[in-house]
Amino acid sequence: MKKSFYRVLLSMMIIAVLCASSAWPLDLHTWSEDEMTTLKSLWIGSLPPVPADPSNKYSVDPKAVAFGKKLFFDNRLSGNLKVSCATCHPANMNFADNLPLAHGMGTTTRRTMPLIGMAYQTWLFWDGRKDSLWAQALGPIESPVEHGFTRTQCASIIIEHHKKDYEELFGPLPALSKRDLPASAKPSPEEPSALKAWVSIPRDKKKAINRIYTNMGKAIAAFVQTIMPTPSRFDDYVEAALKNDFSRMVKTLANDEVKGLRLFIGKAKCTNCHSGPLFTNGEFHNIGLTQPENLPPDAGRSDAIAKVLADEFNCMSEYSDARRADCSELRFIDTDTYKYIGAFKTPTLRNVAERAPYMRAGQISTLEKVLEFYRDLKPGQRSADLEHGELNDLQLQQLEAFLRTLSAPLDFAK
Amino acid sequence: MHTVMIITFMFRSVAYTFIRHFVEEEIFVKTITVLFLSALLISCAPTAKNTRIDEKHVHEQGEFTKHYKESLFQLSEKGMYSVELVLKEPELKTGINAVDIIIHDKTDRDVVDADITVVPWMPEMGHGVFEKPVITERGGGVYTVDNIILIMSGYWELRITIKEASFVDKAVFEFRDVKVDRGHEHKMTEAPADLDLAAKKLTDNKMFNVSYKSMREPIPINRIHTWELAVLKADGSPVRGAVISLDGDMPEHGHGLSTQPEVTDDLGNGKYLVEGIKFSMPGWWVMKFNIQSGDKEDTVMFNLMLKE
Ligand code: HEC
Ligand code: HEC
Ligand SMILES: [Cu+2]
Repeated sequence: MKKSFYRVLLSMMIIAVLCASSAWPLDLHTWSEDEMTTLKSLWIGSLPPVPADPSNKYSVDPKAVAFGKKLFFDNRLSGNLKVSCATCHPANMNFADNLPLAHGMGTTTRRTMPLIGMAYQTWLFWDGRKDSLWAQALGPIESPVEHGFTRTQCASIIIEHHKKDYEELFGPLPALSKRDLPASAKPSPEEPSALKAWVSIPRDKKKAINRIYTNMGKAIAAFVQTIMPTPSRFDDYVEAALKNDFSRMVKTLANDEVKGLRLFIGKAKCTNCHSGPLFTNGEFHNIGLTQPENLPPDAGRSDAIAKVLADEFNCMSEYSDARRADCSELRFIDTDTYKYIGAFKTPTLRNVAERAPYMRAGQISTLEKVLEFYRDLKPGQRSADLEHGELNDLQLQQLEAFLRTLSAPLDFAK
Repeated sequence: MHTVMIITFMFRSVAYTFIRHFVEEEIFVKTITVLFLSALLISCAPTAKNTRIDEKHVHEQGEFTKHYKESLFQLSEKGMYSVELVLKEPELKTGINAVDIIIHDKTDRDVVDADITVVPWMPEMGHGVFEKPVITERGGGVYTVDNIILIMSGYWELRITIKEASFVDKAVFEFRDVKVDRGHEHKMTEAPADLDLAAKKLTDNKMFNVSYKSMREPIPINRIHTWELAVLKADGSPVRGAVISLDGDMPEHGHGLSTQPEVTDDLGNGKYLVEGIKFSMPGWWVMKFNIQSGDKEDTVMFNLMLKE
């Protein structure tokens, strides 16, 4: 009798210790039905097939992909013959430059964005001032601090060096003489002399140049669209969980990583914004970051709403292949500029550990500090979306351990 | 083996009860503290705002006086003026703000026709804002400053410059802890436990019977999609040609939808097409419809609990 009592007491103590340290593997890897739904929604297997871009009828054309790839790496498309898209988005570094601010012909005021699963993004850039990948690609080319180039120079390069590729895809190039293509001509209010040169070109020639320029963008977009994530350790874990393969789950993620995952989808509420298989809702939020001292103030999304509506290359423009009805995002865009002051696009967290520094202007140097930033936001300073319970140092380490499980090589058109 | 399992179970349920008890206790203590603090705050709070305390407004030589009870009061840097600042709302917040500035000189004269500039500044970050505040003179030394757009939370200064002919002086008001404005026009509430999730409801004043159907099931997150709304009269007959407007809201977060959806088509037979709906995150959402038909107008709210 007595003996059995002690035996019971002993087992209770053992269980208590196990529970308290919560190292009880069964509990650690047991997910409720709701949690399983969330895990599945973050899983790479939930990525739908690449949606067609109605504004770019070449978006999945293999010829366009191949041509776009050439253009992506082409240094000739720059004022100093040294800058290509790959300067800031190098393929061997997951298409990111890992610098606080990007360097092209000059220095930008924002950080280079990762290019992962771009085909699924509605709004492009930190502030979403472009609504398609092809319109986006045309931005850096004419930016004086990036490619420092113009659409007239692009047309010249295409005519001179890419005639065959271009014509196979888009049909015959229009007749444009050297005189029709002054080097420094673009509709840029910031550069009056280039604007003057652009305005002076006859209207039909301007259209022909824009057609070449936008077709070029469409080819580049077709390539950028192929850059996709591959399964990370996190994805293997979810796959094992979906199959109830307990031993594989235990082998795939360490205890700390699983605890971090539990915090990420639970108490820390990160999935309010970092949701879906790309860990982003594609929306704009002001998370209370401060703008670095040496940079001009940045209103983010607030300033971009009118820009995308007025954009000469948006979904409803004459260069878009979409019907008006296909442009839902633009038709129903939220025009409440007040709501979006200081709001920026939620970045993907796939491969996040591979690309410090962080945030739109690289203002946070490490993942550890990003998490400290989230924790230290005072209740009055954070929006309700960012509300979470107290997080201690150990929990921040666990969250970081989890974020590190999201790395995997990228796949792209070879 | 079996005993061990039962005991484990017993042990854990005891532990849970204990923890739950503890948590409730903590909530109790928190509630009391909050109530006490609010009571304290309320008792301290000014009873009348913006009351002028110097009804007589005697102009005496040599001394600055405060003219507004609830104002922040300061002498300018060179001591030429007294500057009072009255906030239009209890505190400055991120977004658009307005204040009144009242300026007097040493002889307590109202400073009129002065050239006033106001610069919102973040001293820790060394930057201001991209839009200039708008200043309107009201007379009697009062200047209203509108359109003070504070772009982020944190430590702000309002730097005021006063110019009269060849005199220039300055005053700086500090606001150490400007907070995020928690949603405008969106009240924050917690989800009740017994949320009514029905997709078919009578409008608030029982004029119409409304139901919705999403063209995409389950209702997706982060994806723009279309609903069909059916509007019936009390007798079950369809309401044709109604004018319908809508809005969505996340009551717990104090923000709305990330799109501006619209009714874009009257499908006939009391059915309407709602395009442009997009939910940006999981959780409790409220979709509110306003329906107008002839001289009848009524509203209805649908609750949604969205999961990823
Ligand atoms: C000088 C460096 C630089 C060059 C060159 C450059 N980019 Fe970028 N890229 C950036 C920066 C910085 C951003 C973010 C800019 C912003 O938000 O204002 C960005 C953003 C993007 C985005 C948006 C990603 C998203 O999630 O919204 C895409 C896509 C992109 N670049 C593709 C390209 C392509 C294609 C080219 C070549 C035509 C190119 N970039 C050239 C630095 C560069
Ligand atoms: C309200 C939406 C929201 C929530 C909730 C949220 N984030 Fe973010 N996150 C963002 C936005 C927006 C940015 C970019 C902000 C900027 O640069 O201005 C960001 C940036 C990041 C970055 C930097 C990524 C990069 O490439 O620069 C990391 C890491 C991150 N978040 C992790 C988390 C974690 C972990 C949580 C949970 C504790 C979380 N986030 C919760 C919206 C959110
Ligand atoms: Cu929300």
